[in-house]
Amino acid sequence: SYISDPRQTIYIIEKGNAVLWGSEISPSPPVPTATGNNAHMMYVFNRNGVCLLYREWNRPLHTLNPQQDHKLMFGLLFSLKSLTAKMDPTNAEKGNLGIPQLPGQGCSFHSFRTNTYKLSFMETPSGIKFILVTNPRTGDLRETLKYIYNLYVEYVAKNPLYTPGTLIRCELFNTALDQYVRSIA
Amino acid sequence: MGRDVSESCIDSLLTEMVSTYCNRFYANKPELAARRTEAIGYQVGHQLSERYTMERPCFSDHLEAIKFICKDFWFELFKKQIDNLKTNHRGTFVLQDNRFRWLTRMSIDQSPENGTSEELSIMADNKTMQSMHLYFPCGIIRGALSNLGIPCAVSADISNLPACSFVIRIKA
Repeated sequence: SYISDPRQTIYIIEKGNAVLWGSEISPSPPVPTATGNNAHMMYVFNRNGVCLLYREWNRPLHTLNPQQDHKLMFGLLFSLKSLTAKMDPTNAEKGNLGIPQLPGQGCSFHSFRTNTYKLSFMETPSGIKFILVTNPRTGDLRETLKYIYNLYVEYVAKNPLYTPGTLIRCELFNTALDQYVRSIA
Repeated sequence: MGRDVSESCIDSLLTEMVSTYCNRFYANKPELAARRTEAIGYQVGHQLSERYTMERPCFSDHLEAIKFICKDFWFELFKKQIDNLKTNHRGTFVLQDNRFRWLTRMSIDQSPENGTSEELSIMADNKTMQSMHLYFPCGIIRGALSNLGIPCAVSADISNLPACSFVIRIKA
């Protein structure tokens, strides 16, 4: 089956993955499908900057090697959080940068959007950072990220075989995550 | 008035117990760690069976006692009953729980990234660690039955997570 995009880009959907075929205008955002995964990739960092999980569902472009990519992402988040807190025109306090707060408290950015993707971010009080990159038409993913955090608590934090601070290699978590991400509109 | 305990607390405590015995007290001596956690389970099972059989008359035979373990006892511990009971009528019973509560969150990444011998040994370690978590419930069953006058040996089989089978062999 194929979906014809008014911006003269034709995508052929094959086995749930969108394959680009014949584009005249670039860059143009991929049409979200109901069958394939609706997210591109996800990162999970702990408070020390260790990348606990990197999951990729649809990422045609890789510019850096994985270590550089993770460091760049973590650095970006740190700077963005700092910037958004410092530029807050409504807050009279100095602000406590670096201290994890409940999602929604304090002043922290939670997403940014370009014409080709949207990056959503959530940090938990324990310092675990969730980053989800999706297509740009995605709505507010704060509840989604909270749900993913619940999956993390159940299948990673409470997994007797998992050592905190190490790479997440829990099959139940991966399966539940993949299944959930497929359902994101 | 009942007293409640958070289930997360129990789960974390059990995880830490196994981890401490395996990695600290008896590091590199898994048989001793296994025996110790099984012994702790024995004490727990002994006391719990006392508590849960307070209002009941004695059991007429072994099968009745095993059925008590499968139904009332398991329900008190895990809010569900044993799903399947098999016996050879010669002293061996197999209790199958299709979703054993203490194993529901346990998982490892089965796919080795490049299949190196290091990865494979990590997978073998993981399997061992998984089985370490079963000595405690085996001890609980053994302790409970022992208090009901039935000495036995109990082992577990986790070839099919999260289902778990407990094999009870009654000593003649």
